[in-house]
Amino acid sequence: MSTPDVQSILDAFRAELREASTPAQLDELKRRHTGKSSPVKLLMKGLRDVDPADRPAIAASFNECAKTIEAELQSAASAIEARALEAQLEAEWMDLSMPGLAMARGGRHPLTLMEERCMAVMRQLGFTVVEGPEVEHPYYNFDALNIPEHHPARDMQDTFWVDAGWLLRSHTTTVQARVLEQRPQLPIRVASYGRVYRNEAVDATHLAMFHQFEGIWVDRGLTFAHLKGTLEFIARALYGDHRIRFKPKFYPYTEPSVGVDLECSVCRGSGTSGGRSCEACHAAGWVTILGAGMVHPKLLIEFGYDPAEVTGIAFGLGTTRMAAQKAGVTKIRSLYEQDQRVMRSLKRGG
Amino acid sequence: MRIARDVLERFTELPADNRELRLLLDDLGLEVKRVEDLDGPLTFTLELLANRGDHHCYEGVAREIVGRTGLGLRTVATTPLDLSVGNWPVERHTPLVLTYTATVLVRDGEAGTLSAEDLRTLEAAGIHSISAPVDATNLANLEIGQPTHVFDADKVDGPIILRESVAGERAWPLFSEEHVELPAGTLVVADRSKILAVAGVIGCEDSKATEATTRLVVESATFDPVSVRKASRALSIHTDSSARFERGADPEKAVLGAGRVVHLLEGAGWRRDGGTSRVGIWEDPVRVIEITAAGTNGFLETALSAEAIAEILERYGFGVAFEGETLRVRVPSWRLWDVAFPADLYEEVAKSVGYNATPVSLPPVDLGALPGAAETRRQAVDEVLVGNGFYEVFTDGFYGSWAVEGLGVDELHPLASHVTTRNSLERSYSLLKNNCLAQAVSAVATNAHRRTDDVKLFEWTRTFHPVEAPEGDKTRSPSKERAVLWAIASGRAFPGSWSDKSLVDALFLKGVVQELAVELGLDLALDVPSTSDPLHDCLHPGRQASITLDGARVGILGEVHPAVLKNFKIKRGRPVYLEIRADALLAEGSPPVFIEPDSTQPIERHLTFSLPPRVEAQSIAAVIDAFGPEWLTHVHIVDRFDHLTVPAGPDGSGEPRRAITFELTFSPGSSGQSRSADEVNGALEQLVAEVERQYGSAGVVQR
Repeated sequence: MSTPDVQSILDAFRAELREASTPAQLDELKRRHTGKSSPVKLLMKGLRDVDPADRPAIAASFNECAKTIEAELQSAASAIEARALEAQLEAEWMDLSMPGLAMARGGRHPLTLMEERCMAVMRQLGFTVVEGPEVEHPYYNFDALNIPEHHPARDMQDTFWVDAGWLLRSHTTTVQARVLEQRPQLPIRVASYGRVYRNEAVDATHLAMFHQFEGIWVDRGLTFAHLKGTLEFIARALYGDHRIRFKPKFYPYTEPSVGVDLECSVCRGSGTSGGRSCEACHAAGWVTILGAGMVHPKLLIEFGYDPAEVTGIAFGLGTTRMAAQKAGVTKIRSLYEQDQRVMRSLKRGG
Repeated sequence: MRIARDVLERFTELPADNRELRLLLDDLGLEVKRVEDLDGPLTFTLELLANRGDHHCYEGVAREIVGRTGLGLRTVATTPLDLSVGNWPVERHTPLVLTYTATVLVRDGEAGTLSAEDLRTLEAAGIHSISAPVDATNLANLEIGQPTHVFDADKVDGPIILRESVAGERAWPLFSEEHVELPAGTLVVADRSKILAVAGVIGCEDSKATEATTRLVVESATFDPVSVRKASRALSIHTDSSARFERGADPEKAVLGAGRVVHLLEGAGWRRDGGTSRVGIWEDPVRVIEITAAGTNGFLETALSAEAIAEILERYGFGVAFEGETLRVRVPSWRLWDVAFPADLYEEVAKSVGYNATPVSLPPVDLGALPGAAETRRQAVDEVLVGNGFYEVFTDGFYGSWAVEGLGVDELHPLASHVTTRNSLERSYSLLKNNCLAQAVSAVATNAHRRTDDVKLFEWTRTFHPVEAPEGDKTRSPSKERAVLWAIASGRAFPGSWSDKSLVDALFLKGVVQELAVELGLDLALDVPSTSDPLHDCLHPGRQASITLDGARVGILGEVHPAVLKNFKIKRGRPVYLEIRADALLAEGSPPVFIEPDSTQPIERHLTFSLPPRVEAQSIAAVIDAFGPEWLTHVHIVDRFDHLTVPAGPDGSGEPRRAITFELTFSPGSSGQSRSADEVNGALEQLVAEVERQYGSAGVVQR
């Protein structure tokens, strides 16, 4: 037993270690060079035959040899693992330029979003939603709203007549009439929105069915100033801090009636853009966004209120046009055509 | 209405700056739609308020300006008429003619024309010159808003008779190629043998004045607005005259209008022949409305004195008398048709002050309301659908017969029964929709035509179902409306994916329903299809199911029937459709019940059975669930593999089968005592035996 024996064991081990390149080969090498029958273990078994005086030193050299083998095996294992990992990572390269695989979300309709936006504004004023039928009796669509038969205002809303002398509602103001008829406790603050119908020839900008949003506020002591304040609040909440103006209008169910104009966002009210007449507002400098007024005394009387005691504010928004404007859609009919390309583009652009 | 600045200036003073004038007109509700300054005078095209007939003339527009500026109103020259003895007999047989005058004019020499200035006034308004008599009537209407008409007196047979037409009576309106039949009861101006004019609407060819006319009857009258309107609509003839009369004309202006026409024609070579005949002298009802300064200021939140309010109203032509603190306001004759309440007077005051100059305040409000439960739940539904790639759309509330034909149902089918529109301009709007499937499939077809085969659409809408209802009863609608949600999908389930090419099918929609159930906390489930569902026949008989809520049917789901696809010319894709009642989705749900997860590892085993067609996998799962030990916690279907049985027939074909793998999850037992493998295996053996006992005869075997 001598150091050269140890060195030859180490040399042989190292020669084999250099050839090992896989975890399996390393395991085999480990079995043969650290197991019970490994050369170094066999040397250790021969220590009993060694002179006791020399035994400690020789044993120490054997132990040193065993440790060296363990350490070099460990080091080689780490290196092989690292190489294997590197190879795995290399092999697992993913082409992330490919399109993503999550389910592509669809989208809600711009009109729904606009209605919710309007309703969110109205909720701040304490309004709640009320629905009404789309097939209506002319009483709620016309007569109760101060539009008697043969009144010119009926021409303003060409009507689809249906069975039994009923009609498709031409405005959501019908819901106001139905609410007032119920005589709920004051104050009344309700909004209604949805489909309305006009018997018109359809083209890119005229529809036989479109959407409106309306609100009515009835209470004691509501004034024309309140009407203006409410309209101003709604206009600013929906459109931001643009200049607005009020102008006289005529609606059969309000008196006085008011139109609300918003300063044209293109020409800033000048009526000209780029040295030419502004197309966005037809050179008016203003765009009408709201129709409104104080609830007509005839309506209040019709439903049993004394107009000297109770007054009301009513207003309406053309949500179809508002949604189209916000989305940049010029042909509003496309909002009603179920063309998924349109819906996709409105959601995702392009 | 088109007006010229220089003409308007004859009636009142105007701002020097044209832009300022435009803003003023807008501010008064005389909205300027167009400004033209080409070769002629500067003109404004105005959109007038629909109820203000008195605005349809220069004088009316000028009066509105005066109401703001307080500057004087000027009017046109007229000839005073002798009303003591008329020169043409007039008989009134109807009270619908409020007042009527007839004045005879003759000419001895050549026909003259109106002055150059008058003709320019007409031209600026877009009215072409025809002859002096016609031009004079047009100009009078344009200037002071009184429609008038001229007849060739030599073509009038006897007295002028004011009456209502009888059934079958015919007239020959100007510019018409032939006589037209008038509805019985039409207000007409006639003589002994014919109709001279449809009152307030248009004259007739057989009495019209021409270049050869030497004797005229000038008509100036006020007719009942509704009668004029009915005649105008019935004949589809809309004139400046009818527009004025049907909004309510000034009953005190008939004589003035005649005087203006006479004045104009006297300048063109005509002279009066005798006095003016008049019937139906207007009796002023003296409409008086009482207001107070406090009431006015309370309404407008202004601080105007009673005198200031009176002065404003007087600018508009109202008469005001004080009675203590009360202002007794007399409505002028040209406003009888639109002023009846104090609010109408408040409007006048507000217009004079300026709508943009009156105070603004926000009424006191309560704390804002939160979204209602229905709104919140609808958003939750939308979120599920949008998350699964659906786009919201809107369809019309009606369709044409194409929809019924597309669904392939016969006339006795429930889907053939509709609420109908009676006057739609387009045939495609003739039926109120009683289902959403037709429009949904049509949408798929439209998208396919545009090369969009992967379609996922949904809509909240209503369907309309006919109900027996008597004509005109406002409490009984002929339509029962149902609010529904529908969705349709066609093409790939994951359209954006280049790796998953699977197509949508009824199970995809079932997954959507299950997600809705989770999101809404509702017990939505699928059940066997119901043949009583109107859509049953339009969906694939073997690929449809009822949707139930707490056991009650609330909707339907399935693949669109191939015959329907053929009718809609859909060649690619197998669209699947679902429809659920909105009230079911918006009903209150239950929140999920939380169960603390077991801290120990569950035991999982798989069982696979081979199923023949028509044996539902869920029925096998139900057996496993029912007959498993108490410690069986879950049964899930985790795989399906389609295969054929070993060929049995001479043609070598086997029966198509599905190998369904069920994952069974067992509780591992109480802590520290894990369940033995023998115990679990014993339970599995029993379950296999039970399934084969119940379904073995149907061909179910373990694989």
